[in-house]
Amino acid sequence: MDFKNFNLIYKENRSEIKNKSNIKLKLIEIIGEKNVSTEEVDILAYTKDSSMIGMNWTLQGIIAGQPDFITWPDNVNQISEILKLANLEKIPVIPYAEGSGVVGGAIPIYGGIILDMKKFNKIVDINEKNLTVTAQAGINGMNLERFLEAKGYTTGHVPQSLYISSLGGWIAHRAAGQFSTKYGKIEDIVLGMELVLPQGEFIKFKTIARASTGPQLDKLFIGGEGTLGIVTQATLKIWPIPEKRSLISYVFPSIEASFEAVRKILRENIYPAVIRIYDHAETSRHFAEVEKAKDKVMVIFVCEGNQKLVDLEEIITREKCEKDLGVDCGEAPVEHWFETRFKTTETSSMPALKLVFDTIEVASLWENAAKIYHSVLEATGKIKGNLLITAHVSHFYPNGIGIYFTFGGVPPKGKTDLEFYQDCWNSTIKAVLDAGGSIGHHHGIGINRSHWMAEEWGKSLKTMKEIKILLDPNNILNPGKIYVDTWKGGEK
Amino acid sequence: MGAFDTLKKYKWMLPLLSKADRDIRGILMKNMRSTKKNFYPEGEYKADVGNLIKCMLCPNVCRFDCGTLQASQTETMSPAYKARIGYYLSIGKIDPTKEENKAFIDLMYMCSNEESCKIWCPFDFSVVSLLETVRDDLNDKGLMPDYCKEQIDKLKSSNTIEGYNIYETYKEKGIENVETDGNDDVYYYIGCESMKFPEVIKANIEILKKAGVKFSTNLDKKVCCGGPAFNIRDFETAKEFANKNKKLIESTGAKVIVSDCPGCILTLTKRYESAGIKIDKKIIHIVEYIKQLLDKGKIEPTKNIQDDLKKVTIHDPCLIARNLNDTSSIRAILGKIPGLELVEPTYNKEYVHCCGWSGTAHWADKELAIKEASIRVNELKETGAEVFVSACPLCELGLAYGLKEDEKENIKIMDVSELLFSVL
Repeated sequence: MDFKNFNLIYKENRSEIKNKSNIKLKLIEIIGEKNVSTEEVDILAYTKDSSMIGMNWTLQGIIAGQPDFITWPDNVNQISEILKLANLEKIPVIPYAEGSGVVGGAIPIYGGIILDMKKFNKIVDINEKNLTVTAQAGINGMNLERFLEAKGYTTGHVPQSLYISSLGGWIAHRAAGQFSTKYGKIEDIVLGMELVLPQGEFIKFKTIARASTGPQLDKLFIGGEGTLGIVTQATLKIWPIPEKRSLISYVFPSIEASFEAVRKILRENIYPAVIRIYDHAETSRHFAEVEKAKDKVMVIFVCEGNQKLVDLEEIITREKCEKDLGVDCGEAPVEHWFETRFKTTETSSMPALKLVFDTIEVASLWENAAKIYHSVLEATGKIKGNLLITAHVSHFYPNGIGIYFTFGGVPPKGKTDLEFYQDCWNSTIKAVLDAGGSIGHHHGIGINRSHWMAEEWGKSLKTMKEIKILLDPNNILNPGKIYVDTWKGGEK
Repeated sequence: MGAFDTLKKYKWMLPLLSKADRDIRGILMKNMRSTKKNFYPEGEYKADVGNLIKCMLCPNVCRFDCGTLQASQTETMSPAYKARIGYYLSIGKIDPTKEENKAFIDLMYMCSNEESCKIWCPFDFSVVSLLETVRDDLNDKGLMPDYCKEQIDKLKSSNTIEGYNIYETYKEKGIENVETDGNDDVYYYIGCESMKFPEVIKANIEILKKAGVKFSTNLDKKVCCGGPAFNIRDFETAKEFANKNKKLIESTGAKVIVSDCPGCILTLTKRYESAGIKIDKKIIHIVEYIKQLLDKGKIEPTKNIQDDLKKVTIHDPCLIARNLNDTSSIRAILGKIPGLELVEPTYNKEYVHCCGWSGTAHWADKELAIKEASIRVNELKETGAEVFVSACPLCELGLAYGLKEDEKENIKIMDVSELLFSVL
């Protein structure tokens, strides 16, 4: 096969790798011949992540990034030695596990070594007294959950990507699951961690419920997106499988009314595991069968845990909804969500129509929530070619929310898929920033948000960059993400 | 999904489309009309391109349960990537005729056919059934891999894929041959892989005798069911075997065909029918038949299970659990064995993980198949059982490959019939 048949999107600033065959030999010395590949059949497999624009490219025979070497280490020492070699040769190293990221975080935009973490898939320990599970970072989320479920536990971390994502990926991208309002986000769930720093040093953070022992350095690496270190193992909180689950749904006349009802529930220190608000368009998309939901905003709740507590949560949730003009729609809409929450049939069907779709999740305090919602709808609704801009809200706090916007359309004449995609992304992010929000809630920065980091972080980005230089002076770990404006380098 | 359901599903988009600019609507309509022209191969082809596209654009939701992916732990083995390569081979983006692209062709055969993907697939696809359509085009182009050609050659020259007619070894293995008189109640259809486990066949024959069943085995005339040719998609060879088997089966006069091999049952039923050959008989796995014999009191355990066989776990054959949808017969039989303690593995019944020894992957990459088998062995070992019970010769073969040398002394792999026979 000739890679010339495949147009490459990110081809600027690719690292010049001299003496490739010699480097391959050195990699073989470290991890053995079977665990290193430069074969095209392997290289092509690591040219994409799960970004929606990547689906259009896959169908069109376009690749996002092209790595030079694929490696499959299975112990910490091997990772350490690979990183030392990469520093010596100044070659990028891109950690990869399940490739479920949707913002380009695992795309090897400058080429280099893919460090596939899949072989780090062991469950090390479950401690039923401490309520913890320790697992290697490459373990698939569903395989971890199935192991725990068989023993009567769950982490409570159930992202939509559960089947296709890894523990390391969750930590790298500061992920949040669908049940996070009760169980917390990944940074709340991780109690201990082990990782290899960019220059090959292996470090461990003690597993502890909480401590006052100086700054919490481990949190620096949660959300590091593989730029500050490679997480190899983590200890997570677990919970007994809930004894009761209540399914509740209400419709509201407006997005504002739904926000108010949910805000007032959370003020009471009531945390339904799942809360999801669907705006008018998404309600008609997902709940067309529900008569009462016509031209309304649907909100679904799942309360779970101890039976007595769940009963009480349900009473308070219902009281608050009804006070804010909510109309009870029963269990059916929630059951429908449970049935369809992992289904991805629609997205697989869009690229053949040359439709460009994506979702963008952002964060807001309550005071800006409605403003952000309306601003984005207005701004991205105006992008030429865009056919829809809708939203649902799936992560909640007493202080604010995480909003998911969905856009989709066809690039107008003269625009490439990527240009249209970037226009929609940029208008959404700009509207969010202007309205006082934050540019990302739980998918991470990757490539897609990298050029907005200066506005998001302000002067503190300088400090972040200094930390990166201190840890990774040769900039070998996952370059082109977070700290540089990568999208300006993308081919249009 | 039918046209009505599709319209219903996408009804929510209509107001959005009506609001769109005219030129944008025009582009969209053009895109809809040009899908085939833009993304499908030209000329004649057999590949299921539309569904390959859907599969390759899925974010691999079945990846965590794919046997070859879990064994290799490489992205290369992921189901959606295999579909992607199948698509590129079909449209010529990757030229299958070039020697340098052989590894891409091999990927079309790297499947253990266990179909656990289908459980999780939002489209209800079995990935191997998509890959098989790519194999059809490769075969038409004369690009069948050598390891597949080798199996076909063996089938043709020896009537089984062993390279010799394994059925001819029945005497030396002490297996009794029961010839038909053309008036049997049951034909015991012995799989060629089962011939590697003579104790299982002997147990089945004795069970049928004890129950007073009038049956035959006809080992002198027996040939492979043709299953491997169906896997390889050599339909000409497959049909030859189908016709031979149809003739043999019909000559017995039996209304019920019982087999010890789930692969044979799949082949004799669904696969023959797909090739236009129907055997109008009840064709079932022997565990289902034995369960009926137990229920009717035709056989009854009279002894306690021996001490070293007491603690057992089940490896459900994927073809019984997911194709025949029968996970109860094996358990019902074990439940009748006095003193037996059954410990279920975490992944059981329809969620069973593969033994590694089905499909074409074990021909394409034996080392990978052994790895897959060893993963399953480790899962079964976690139960603490001394005996792994199954009901498929390929599973029993795969699990044996998965056992380490030092584990072979402490762990026995047995067929459920053997275990039952030991207490009759």
